[in-house]
Amino acid sequence: MAKMQRANIICALVLLLLAGLVAREAIRLEIGWGDIGPKGGFFPFWLAVILASSSLTVLMKAFSGWRHTKKEFFFPRGRLGLLLTVLIPIALVVPLIEAIGFYITAFFYLALYIWWTGRKRLWVNLSISILFPLAIFFVFEKWFLIPLPKGYFEAYLPF
Amino acid sequence: MESFANLIYGFELALSPYNLFVAGMGVFLGTVIGVLPGLGGTSGVAILLPLTFVMPPSSAIVFLSCIYWGALFGGAITSILFNIPGEPWSVATMFDGYPMAKSGRAGLALGSAFVPGFFAALIAVICFTFFAPPLAEFALRFGPPENFAVLLLAFSTLTGLGGGSAAKSVASTAIGFMLATVGMDIVTGRPRLTFDTITLLSGFSFITVSIGLFGIGEILQSSEETLEIKGIQGKVGLKDIITVLRTIVQNFTSFITGSLLGFWIGIMPGTGATPASFLSYGLAKKFSRNPARFGTGAPEGIMAAQTAAQAAGIGSLLPMITLGIPGSPTAAVILGGLYIWGLLPGPALFTEQKDFVWALIASMYVGNVMGVLLCLFLVPLFAAIMRIPSSILTPIIVLLSMIGAYAVNNNSFDIFLVLVFGVIGYLFKKLEYPLAPLVVALVLGDITEEALRQSLILSDGSIAIFFTRPIAAFFMIIALIIFLLPALGPITRRLRIGI
Repeated sequence: MAKMQRANIICALVLLLLAGLVAREAIRLEIGWGDIGPKGGFFPFWLAVILASSSLTVLMKAFSGWRHTKKEFFFPRGRLGLLLTVLIPIALVVPLIEAIGFYITAFFYLALYIWWTGRKRLWVNLSISILFPLAIFFVFEKWFLIPLPKGYFEAYLPF
Repeated sequence: MESFANLIYGFELALSPYNLFVAGMGVFLGTVIGVLPGLGGTSGVAILLPLTFVMPPSSAIVFLSCIYWGALFGGAITSILFNIPGEPWSVATMFDGYPMAKSGRAGLALGSAFVPGFFAALIAVICFTFFAPPLAEFALRFGPPENFAVLLLAFSTLTGLGGGSAAKSVASTAIGFMLATVGMDIVTGRPRLTFDTITLLSGFSFITVSIGLFGIGEILQSSEETLEIKGIQGKVGLKDIITVLRTIVQNFTSFITGSLLGFWIGIMPGTGATPASFLSYGLAKKFSRNPARFGTGAPEGIMAAQTAAQAAGIGSLLPMITLGIPGSPTAAVILGGLYIWGLLPGPALFTEQKDFVWALIASMYVGNVMGVLLCLFLVPLFAAIMRIPSSILTPIIVLLSMIGAYAVNNNSFDIFLVLVFGVIGYLFKKLEYPLAPLVVALVLGDITEEALRQSLILSDGSIAIFFTRPIAAFFMIIALIIFLLPALGPITRRLRIGI
């Protein structure tokens, strides 16, 4: 299990890397003075400098306070599992919406998630899983005229 | 008395059947969002923003602002009845609200939040009505250097007064600005920071980012908290309201201080309702005749926290509408909405979009009346929403977040981004990087860069321009002082230890 302080250091290093990437892009875009004022890279470059210096401050603080801080865990016992039960289904839903469309994904996501975490009665579960996508359909597709992704089925649908 | 005539005109707009319906829906949905602990006002407004695309701008702003008023009221219900803050700004309401409800006076506790909260909002709206037009008129004289100085002041208060690690606030602000620069460069027309991909050419939409950071981030965060929901039943009776009104009269100074302080803190960019509620609660306790009562169920404690929170909510829209600078993360999302509806936030709204501005101001009165009535009568209904188990609530909020992100540009890539920013939001919260500066910087990124570049063009590259023009210099100096405060902290402390 990662300790809070270590996570802090890793995060600061990632931000430092991000600052480096942005700075490189900015230099490529030129950071000097052009015909119409500062060139494109000017603003991003100074942002990268600010981000790098603040990440370095965080890093320095994390190292200097290494021994004094309490041993806080990034994930206290058993919490990682709780997080993953929420996160993994979301991570599956994202590609599925693109593949098979919003409405079918919504039905399966609701039905399986409620069954898995809630263990509700079947009729409660099914009525929520069917009524929610239906309500969304009428509100967005019919009332607000905002079409939601339908994936592979797009071509076969009458609406 | 031009404001007064305009206000009457605004009421004509706000009281039209369609706008009344929109306001009612907004307040109702906002209260629901306020009640739900996994869903904050900022993400709620962001998720519901696509619904406004089919409305005229003046109704759209009424809808979004009414969601905010509803959320300000709704957060109190969960704090008092369930001992769980529905919103960050209702934590201070909880200190006395829950002990009081537990001792069998739930109705009085709820009343002590709603009724003074309503009157505080009313005071704040009246201040708003008469402060906003002159402030906008003053701001109309601003050129790019003044605009940049005001923006810098906004970011200094956001990072300097936010509490926590200053370095992390600065990092968060810088990341927000970086995200804003991704895409087409407005001045040179060249793509920037897109790393030669087409998907990044259109840049990051603030809606996607804020739904991810706040909406999904909050869902992930609350997944770790195994809350056992044990609520107290409560209903507000007429007798409770009379008792509350008496409390207001007895603690009139505390009530007025809370309202005005809240309004003032709300105006300060980037702070919003949460710090206002803590500060007001602290002050009320300090100046109370019997401070020992605080924390055990004192009605004046609930009143102090709630008045400041609601007045601050109103105040946070003042700089948004007059200067184009949001006073809170929720206001930042509403500001982003203005761009989407094709309006340019800022002082020109007062002359060019009178309908929009005055419909908004009038709807603040209407929305808060609706909010207090809804809450007083429908407490049992809203409390029942809290009992919906998270196994049902979580997927519904996730799906609504996905729709919210997708509907902005009809782009599936945004759904993926919501997930990415959700994870980032979760990690940042855990590592105590504040999220508000990031979102505000993302929304204001383009105009900040434009103001900076235009100023530098005016001055031929010299930053002296920010200090030679009096108004710009005034804001610049205050901004720099606030920026340097956290840096000076350790030095002054060390000096003191040295002595």
